Amino acid sequence: MITYLKVTGWLLAAILLQMTLLPRYLLDPFQPNLILIMVVYLGLKLPHRFAGLAAFSLGVLQDSFSGIYLGLHAFSYLCIYTLLSQLADRLYTDNRTLFVLVVFLMTMVGALLNLAMLLIFSASNGLYASLLPALIPQALVNALIASIVFNIPLPAGEEAR
Amino acid sequence: MIKLLIRHKRLLITALLLLAVFLTYALNLRNKEHANPLERGVMSVIAPIAGGGAAVSGMFGDVWNNYIDLLEVRRENVVLRKSVQRLNERIVAGNEAVMANARMKALLDLKVTLNAPSLAVSVIGEDSSAWFKTLVVDRGSSDGLMEGMPVLAAGGVVGRLVKVAPNSSRVLLLTDHASAIAALVQRSRARGVVRGAGAGRCSMEFTVKDDDVKVGDAVVTSGIGGVFPKGLPIGEVTMVKKGEYGVFQTIEVRPTVNIANLEEMLVLFRQPNE
Repeated sequence: MITYLKVTGWLLAAILLQMTLLPRYLLDPFQPNLILIMVVYLGLKLPHRFAGLAAFSLGVLQDSFSGIYLGLHAFSYLCIYTLLSQLADRLYTDNRTLFVLVVFLMTMVGALLNLAMLLIFSASNGLYASLLPALIPQALVNALIASIVFNIPLPAGEEAR
Repeated sequence: MIKLLIRHKRLLITALLLLAVFLTYALNLRNKEHANPLERGVMSVIAPIAGGGAAVSGMFGDVWNNYIDLLEVRRENVVLRKSVQRLNERIVAGNEAVMANARMKALLDLKVTLNAPSLAVSVIGEDSSAWFKTLVVDRGSSDGLMEGMPVLAAGGVVGRLVKVAPNSSRVLLLTDHASAIAALVQRSRARGVVRGAGAGRCSMEFTVKDDDVKVGDAVVTSGIGGVFPKGLPIGEVTMVKKGEYGVFQTIEVRPTVNIANLEEMLVLFRQPNE
């Protein structure tokens, strides 16, 4: 129970930071996506039956505060969580480098999923012109923040299960 | 006689000393303004010692006074620092009030020039994503706001309301990729649609090659579609490119409003299909 409360607390803190302080003080491509990092964490280190729901909820929350397409991030985060939770058993998830690398890759995967969804289902022509130049800086910033997050003593998978 | 002298030796010596002192005093009465050799000798010997003593005494005095002054200065410093901080806060608040006043005045001027009821809103949040351009404002449906209402700032068009909650709303900025506003070039009346291009830029689409568009032309709302009233400034043409093929020309537009520094805006109470 305490583990769930701890994880919920960290998720809430990440959401609050993401929605309030970060957009105000950091320039666009250099804003870390803390929510995505938490989704990667859930997928790799806490693959629990409620974690998928948490990833989906995080996406819906982000969609409520960002952009105009409700469900866009919810879909991409759920895809990322599903992919990682399937791979988690085959990976050495206690390795910091792996965590950082996965965050870097998942930032790209998430952005490309969003782009594909927008291009297929909406009329946002030319979105790729904004998205692609920001992709690498954002992935690098996320990787940097992931290396810091890895040091935080978050609950591990075994005790959560 | 000798015995008498011996018996009263102490008395005699004292008397002789007193006599000598008296004579010295009496003899020097006439010469009181000039130092005699004895006085000069004593003065010569004492002067450096007195000087050194005075210096040492002065040094200790200075140290003590400085210490006392330091304590006083420290107390005074704390008081002055607090005072400076308070005054700085007042200066910042004053500057902020002056700037807010200027912004409000510009907004009020805009409100007067618009012939439609409007509501002033303040920005309370920004989009947390790098790819979407929306703002959160502090008024919502409980203040009469509805989706689709046009949002303006002192410089011109900002965007339109997209998601309205009871006490807050989202504004889709004209620089967002999902934004499209019917527009025309003010000088030549060439028509087109201003679309958001991200990163604080817009492009004007569907303007045919034959239309006369030049760099520096003002782009205003055309009023078509019924969302925005006609003639509101949108931006300025910064680039025109007429390719060899195709029907339309490529036009880049810089918004008149500085989107990055928006704080207060006006929402027009105008129904999208009014």
